Amino acid sequence: MHRRGAGIAAIKNKNLAQARYKDKGTEIAEGQVAQMAKQMETFKVHLENFASQHKEEIRKNSEFRVQFQEMCASIGVDPLASSKGFWAEMLGVGDFYYELGVQIVEVCLATSHRNGGLIGIEELRDRVVKSRGKKSQDISIDDLLRAIKKLKVLGNGFSVITCGRSYMVQSVPGELSMDHTSVIQQAQNTAYVTVSQIKKTLNWETERIHRALDYLVKEALVWTDDQSSETQYWFPSLFAGAMNASS
Amino acid sequence: MATFSWPWQYNFPPFFTIQPNLDTRKKQLEAWCSLVLNYQKSQKNYILDTTEAQNSPLFYNKDINRRLSTDGIQTVLEELRKRGNVEWKDKAGKQCIIMWRTPEEWGNLVYKYITDRSMKNTVCTLYELTHEEDTENQEFHGLEDWLLLRALQCLQSQGKAELMGDEGVKFF
Repeated sequence: MHRRGAGIAAIKNKNLAQARYKDKGTEIAEGQVAQMAKQMETFKVHLENFASQHKEEIRKNSEFRVQFQEMCASIGVDPLASSKGFWAEMLGVGDFYYELGVQIVEVCLATSHRNGGLIGIEELRDRVVKSRGKKSQDISIDDLLRAIKKLKVLGNGFSVITCGRSYMVQSVPGELSMDHTSVIQQAQNTAYVTVSQIKKTLNWETERIHRALDYLVKEALVWTDDQSSETQYWFPSLFAGAMNASS
Repeated sequence: MATFSWPWQYNFPPFFTIQPNLDTRKKQLEAWCSLVLNYQKSQKNYILDTTEAQNSPLFYNKDINRRLSTDGIQTVLEELRKRGNVEWKDKAGKQCIIMWRTPEEWGNLVYKYITDRSMKNTVCTLYELTHEEDTENQEFHGLEDWLLLRALQCLQSQGKAELMGDEGVKFF
């Protein structure tokens, strides 16, 4: 039986070859990294130039702001990461969102006695715009969502619930489960739900419906109305007549 | 009536059902109290008859077909009584006086008016306080006599005024 010997020379040769490959590999990688870094550097410079040139527009135009935010996100830059960062200083966008955050908190607090701490994003926007006064720039829903996201660092006080195509902002602690948000979605158009209505659309057990509704009553998010054929559960936060109420 | 602007709650159907959740009920009663006082004020009405009240637009919103029950009305009025805005005229709770300002608050308004004009230590007649031109811009202008008297009695017990018979008063 012939057996190739594993001589010392063979091992040495192999190691040598491996080392060479490795060196070459690192060389190539280094080259690529360097090139990449150079590209990124150029891109960053351009982005900075772009940002400083269009500073005013970014601050004023909400659509522009969304696109800029997306562009930043795609290269891993978060202009809001720190208020002291280059981007925030350059653009003042940090301040913009922090200011917005404070105004959102104010509006949510001021209306929570009425809506139990649940507010539609449209109403929130109207109220925030009103509180900012006439000279304020356009505020988009995207701006609000970003600002709310930033509020997360302060704890879990604020959360955004998706309701069909719209959003609602919850500003009171208290977890809303999928069941609760489904119920809120059912009430989107009429501002109220009934047990039989939920049974028909969601096909839930009566027990499950009552559990969800009782929780919403307990959390002061809905009011009950006994003066129709079946108890109606009303959301003040979805009630159109209350949206422009001053108190 | 055209001038009275109803609060948003008035068109919110569950507003007419006393709420089971205590926090919500507190807010609801709060809103009812100010609605009742504002409404009575706009009507310049002091007396409320609970049986009649059920059909008054105050407690019955025809547009949405919702009304506050007798028990509900009692709850609201009881809350107002605790705040000093309501006094029952009979024990059965059929009629009550609703004062959108308590006698004490009226007293303070009158007293402020007097001190603002350095009219302390002078004697005024009750008639001149509420019916003469000088006070036309004051909220207490045209105030009913019994309520003015109550207001002045409040001031008297605080040592800020002294009633002289039924018609005159001196302020300190």
